Amino acid sequence: MIYQIFDWLDNKLDFDQAQAHCDIPCGIYDPITAQIAALTVVRMIDLMKDLETKSPNKDAAFLNTFSRYVAVKEEHAEKAKHDVRVIWGDYIKTQHLEQYPELHSLVHKIMQGGSKSRQTTDRDAAAAFVEDINKFAEIFWATKGIKTKRAKAPYAPNLELVYPELV
Amino acid sequence: MIRILKVTENSLSPFFLEGDFVVVSKIPFFLRPLKSGDIVVFNQPSYGIMIKQVEHVSPDGEQLFVVGTHPFSTDSRQFGPIRKESVLGKVVWHIRKS
Repeated sequence: MIYQIFDWLDNKLDFDQAQAHCDIPCGIYDPITAQIAALTVVRMIDLMKDLETKSPNKDAAFLNTFSRYVAVKEEHAEKAKHDVRVIWGDYIKTQHLEQYPELHSLVHKIMQGGSKSRQTTDRDAAAAFVEDINKFAEIFWATKGIKTKRAKAPYAPNLELVYPELV
Repeated sequence: MIRILKVTENSLSPFFLEGDFVVVSKIPFFLRPLKSGDIVVFNQPSYGIMIKQVEHVSPDGEQLFVVGTHPFSTDSRQFGPIRKESVLGKVVWHIRKS
């Protein structure tokens, strides 16, 4: 009876909600997936340009291979954006933002860089996309108190990536 | 000084369940400081208005470590302790849905 009265009042007054929020905090976050996805975008652009140069005939075989490169570029640019958003939304907390106030603008830049990498074949833009995610990775590991190092990826396009120095 | 809120989600199950109502107030603060076991409603910058149980209070009384009773609760174990000023009130009346 009392509950029904409160329910009726809620329908009239629309009480605020108090979340007893529940989640499954697996706690497994690593920006390397975004870094590799962004690196794949650069690789696809290189392969597209290489194929264009080496293929005098723009026949069905050319179009088939080229379209596959484009599809992979699209997929990985979006994956990189997604993986950064997950860390930003689920892992990054207020205290991290207070410590690294540039995080919001950096993530926004990454989102824009990912979109540009999908829209164009601009290799410099794609390389900048990788570098921005590297900066994001440096901050991510710093929030965990883990030092990082930079090293060239051991696979084409051999761009520099940020890696955690794990013991 | 008194507020009515509707509970969503189930991190305080089986004690507080989705759809329950709670009446919260700051009046009890003036009578007795918050202590371990109290159920409080507070404003969390990332998650908004939340309801959790006080696990412990910092020695200076300024920060509260709040938890849920469900193993998958999102609480101070993820977002850290909350400030006393963010507490909207202590639950003084619990109206169960069933």
